[in-house]
Amino acid sequence: MFLSEFTNYIPVILNGLPNTIILAFGGFGIGLVFGTLLAFLEVYAPKPIASAASLIEEVIRGTPLLVIMFIVFFGLPELGMSLDPVHAAIVSIGIRSLAYQSQIIRGAISSIPAGQLEAALSIGMTRGQAFLYVVVPQAFRIAIPGLVNQFTIDLKDTSIAYAIGVAEIFTQAIHVAQVILDYLTPLVFIGLIYLVMTLTVSYISEYLYRRYAIPGLGGGG
Amino acid sequence: MSFMERVIEVVYNYSPMFLEGLKNTLVLTATSFIMGFVFGALIAVGRVYGPRPLRLILASYVELIRGTPMLLQLFLVYYALPRIGIILDPLIAAFLGMGLNSAAYQSEYLRSSIKAVPRGQWEAALSIGMTRWQAITSIVMPIALRSSIPALTNELVYLLKYSSIAYFLTVVELVYAGKIIGAETFAYLEIYTIIAIIYLTLSLIITRTMKNIEKRVMIPGLITPSARM
Amino acid sequence: MKDVVLRVENLWKSYGTTEVLRGVEFEVRRGEVKVIMGPSGAGKSTLLRCINLLVRPDKGRIELEGDEVFPHPSKSISSIRQKIGFVFQHFNLFMHLTALDNVRIGLIKVKKMPKEEATRKAIEALEMVGIGKELWHKYPAQLSGGQQQRVAIARAIAMEPSIILMDEPTSALDPELVGEVLRVIEKLARNRTTMLIVTHEMGFALRAADEIMIMDNGVIVERGSPEEILRNPKHERTKRFINSILGRVA
Repeated sequence: MFLSEFTNYIPVILNGLPNTIILAFGGFGIGLVFGTLLAFLEVYAPKPIASAASLIEEVIRGTPLLVIMFIVFFGLPELGMSLDPVHAAIVSIGIRSLAYQSQIIRGAISSIPAGQLEAALSIGMTRGQAFLYVVVPQAFRIAIPGLVNQFTIDLKDTSIAYAIGVAEIFTQAIHVAQVILDYLTPLVFIGLIYLVMTLTVSYISEYLYRRYAIPGLGGGG
Repeated sequence: MSFMERVIEVVYNYSPMFLEGLKNTLVLTATSFIMGFVFGALIAVGRVYGPRPLRLILASYVELIRGTPMLLQLFLVYYALPRIGIILDPLIAAFLGMGLNSAAYQSEYLRSSIKAVPRGQWEAALSIGMTRWQAITSIVMPIALRSSIPALTNELVYLLKYSSIAYFLTVVELVYAGKIIGAETFAYLEIYTIIAIIYLTLSLIITRTMKNIEKRVMIPGLITPSARM
Repeated sequence: MKDVVLRVENLWKSYGTTEVLRGVEFEVRRGEVKVIMGPSGAGKSTLLRCINLLVRPDKGRIELEGDEVFPHPSKSISSIRQKIGFVFQHFNLFMHLTALDNVRIGLIKVKKMPKEEATRKAIEALEMVGIGKELWHKYPAQLSGGQQQRVAIARAIAMEPSIILMDEPTSALDPELVGEVLRVIEKLARNRTTMLIVTHEMGFALRAADEIMIMDNGVIVERGSPEEILRNPKHERTKRFINSILGRVA
């Protein structure tokens, strides 16, 4: 039946898996680094910089990922910057991710009592040290559920890179479907792959949350 | 020609195409939100008040949707349904897929709002002789819906942005319109900047409107979680 | 001979391994006011909730005006509940409805009364409990505890039930608000409203109750007229309970 024909193409689909993973981790990673930076600026920087950071966050959050991808892939060449599809996709996912992660981290930071920062400064730490050694460790534990959720979103949205021709599993599945003239089987197949990935992520996140939980420190989730 | 000049030129020459895209974007957003709301509410009620087998089926549905990309769900609706004889217009397939997706997410928000309604309200409703259905519709839901407004607003804005996925189904929404204009002018940066601004304006309008609605239906003493996450 | 409104026979209820009701049995006749007292955890609240089937008993029999309520209800549970009024310790007014709507909603949705008639009856009930016109359109959050509880009582009496159950109606109130609610309940008692009330209010029981039942550990350990129980308690547990209450409140 259809199934035996499809099994020949499974390797083709799986060839897309490395890119899916690279896009997800790369994009989320960029989002983590720059999102934390943005959050720091929005909370601790002087008013004009904080407002600018806030504006950047809001603008990015209000833009669909597909639009960001097209701006990066089709628009940037007009300014002289040309990226290949994979890098463009990673950057796009990263840009979107950093805006959402910034919001999540900001929320976590603001749920930490002001007294913590005061105490840190009182023992002579600079703002940067206080942030790094006192605020960040606590904020991250609180932010874990939100950040993991964002990673799941980034992972699923790697499929949008189909629009710029990245060979991740969704693109591969569609190509196979067009060849064997059966969309159902390839789509269900990658659906299962996505499910396995997202469920694994949520199990790991529960493990992380429990492992790094501090008694008395609440958090969302 | 400078960037701004090109932008103005594109808008001037192609406004009908932008409007066509805008129209379809709004149609997709509205229809999928409504569909998601109706089915989401039913799923939420089913998961809170229904028998165990029903709860399991509904929970599986929600997990399935949340664990897979929306793009995949749209493709399944549009390309796989023909296998069983259902052939759909791209726009219909798009909002159907988005609606089924939204139903899963809205059901989660509504479910937590329903569970947050104090148990005493439910007991009092039963005590004056209401049936379970009357208690759900007259007492629990009016309270739960009010406290869901912030989360539902978020969902509406999400749908606005994710309507862009209908691009893949060749629906002429904003992004597809941009592609068409781009094919003629190659002014990609200008076009997608304009489109980004349109999306931003729309989300601002939506959030502002929902805040107003929230103010109008708010009841003194009803604590709603206005913190957005 | 006054007819029996409520009959409870050999009622048992356990939560897991904890037996909360162990063979409770009593009757309430029309026009009677019976008060249940006892230490916390005695099962009093569970008993009331079993009578209107918010909680399902394990064993026993409950009869309302001759119709069986448990184990095999002769009518639908919701229609049985229409005849049983329930006043909660924490009022449980519908938070999204005004005072008037709280009283009206049962009449409109459950008794299917037309709006004008429902409004008339609701106003009657609100006036009976002393809630004036200026409060009818207020939301529960805008009312004091005493006002909320009185509206809750109005909500119960508007349904014209055969019996009203009250679960510690004044325990959640600030002391200065207790009096206004007790006065309303005493007024209902004078009007010969059939009631079964769980309370710690000794003075009220002395004034208004026809019989007091002392519950401890899931059984009724002693019953009698207020004077008998309070001046002349026979059982050790009753004596201990009375002393603990009297030691607390005058």
